[in-house]
Amino acid sequence: MKRRWSPSRVWTGVVLGAWAGLFWFLLVSGRWSLYLSTRTLWVVPTGAALLTVATVARLASARVRRPAQLQSATSWTLGLIALPVVLILSLPPATLSGYALGRRSGFVGSGVNVSTSDISSGTLSFIDVAAAQSSKGGMEALRSRAGEQVTLDGFVWRQDGAAADEILLTRYVVTCCVADATSAQVRVVNVPPGRFQPDDWVRITGRIYPLGSEILVDASDVQAIPQPDRPYLTP
Amino acid sequence: MAIDVARPNISPPRTGSPRRTAAVVLVGLAAVAVVVRAADPERIAWLQNFLIVFGSLLIEATPFILLGAFVSAAIEVFVPTSTMAQLGRLPRPLQLPAAALAGIALPVCECGSVPVARRLASKGLAPSAAVTFMLAAPILNPVVVASTFVAYRGRDSLWVMVLGRMGLGFLVAVAVGWVIGATRKDDLLKPRPEDDEEHGETAEHDPGWARFVSHLSGDFFFMGRFLIMGAAIAAAVQTFVPQTVVGKVANLPVLSLLAMMALAFLMSLCSESDAFVASSFTQFGPAAQLAFLVSGPMIDLKLGALYAGTYSKGFVRIVVTTVVVVTLAGTLWLQVVFG
Repeated sequence: MKRRWSPSRVWTGVVLGAWAGLFWFLLVSGRWSLYLSTRTLWVVPTGAALLTVATVARLASARVRRPAQLQSATSWTLGLIALPVVLILSLPPATLSGYALGRRSGFVGSGVNVSTSDISSGTLSFIDVAAAQSSKGGMEALRSRAGEQVTLDGFVWRQDGAAADEILLTRYVVTCCVADATSAQVRVVNVPPGRFQPDDWVRITGRIYPLGSEILVDASDVQAIPQPDRPYLTP
Repeated sequence: MAIDVARPNISPPRTGSPRRTAAVVLVGLAAVAVVVRAADPERIAWLQNFLIVFGSLLIEATPFILLGAFVSAAIEVFVPTSTMAQLGRLPRPLQLPAAALAGIALPVCECGSVPVARRLASKGLAPSAAVTFMLAAPILNPVVVASTFVAYRGRDSLWVMVLGRMGLGFLVAVAVGWVIGATRKDDLLKPRPEDDEEHGETAEHDPGWARFVSHLSGDFFFMGRFLIMGAAIAAAVQTFVPQTVVGKVANLPVLSLLAMMALAFLMSLCSESDAFVASSFTQFGPAAQLAFLVSGPMIDLKLGALYAGTYSKGFVRIVVTTVVVVTLAGTLWLQVVFG
């Protein structure tokens, strides 16, 4: 008996292909960094390869002897499965904003790849500073560097009732995907009042001072910067 | 123990034109794209937050679902039924722990283990053993053990968390398998009408690879829709419910454990990353954090949707009850010992 194209198999192949296309797009465009951490980047090429193999295999087996008509229920299911592809591709390149701060817990640095020796020597990164705030050893190590100059990138957030020249420089720390994001914040003073709005990305240069259980950066220079290619930090 | 089976959800073929439905679906998808671009989600903070979390959950979980579907299809096509039947004849006291320990060999998160467990049960493995495997794999696999170690490195509670998670996860998985007992697969697994449609086109003499692709595709699309629904609910919860709501009960003995289990249920995190989030709840003691880490990979919103599509209604009730009770008992004991 002659083989003919099965509509349901062709359409499942098309939807699989759409998912494969999404993963290739995320990989090539670098937009994976808006959803995943560098630790889980491997998921994207793996997913792209697996989905491509599945698409090719599905289409290669789409000619059958007794093709069934595409049922309405199957169409709705295929539409539902294709919906996230459409949503993700339609969304402009955006990151978690300050809106999510009130809904997430704060980053706790102990246990991540930040040791007191990392903090007490070398260039201080945002992760070093955020991790130091959550451990006694980290704060001790940071005290030895009080007054040193640091450069930190993050987005602006303001606390209710804060002084006009004070902001919370903020980054999200993502371990696997954005769903597990925690927030890391450093208080910065001496920021030109009114110049920066919440969610603006800035580069702060200033001197760092551990005060009690908190860290303060006295800014000497604050520059607006575009959103970084990798907006989330990886512990 | 008998499980009440939900009535098979097999609806009669619709009389409306399938072509018209397909056209409506395509137009609907195009309309969604236009609306999202026009709405400019950057101006609507909650919508942007929802779409990013929803997308991230799916981008991370989809390859694992597909990987699970690959393994599941390979079991169906290449593993003889007699092998599973032989395993199924082993005594239950041996079968359940062995099934739980087999989870060490499958380094995937919870989404991938669901289609594999379904296939194992439909192929002849005792359903209780298949479920035990499904619940244990996301906790006992080496990647998750390593991530728990890294998340708690440098803390006094390091080994309590790593060994406690493995030990209690193993116990809870075996307990659920024991409660399910001798339930037959027909009473446990929901029928899948799509299988009939798909396999109506598959001839007996089709090559193995063609049958493999049929099963792979069937599993992926079956699990995929429930994953999407679960991810949407989890993203909505993450968008609108602040995590700090549980902080008020951090010092209360039993409530703190239940609160962290509830939080794990709502957040629907991958078991490979949840330890980093659990460790950030410093106001809660190790026992409450352990409750989060043990119950989360077994029962959450995303999994709830997958379970509801795969298993009978009674199954979800049994899993939720047993996981909560055994996890609560285990972590209460830890709370007494370690504070």
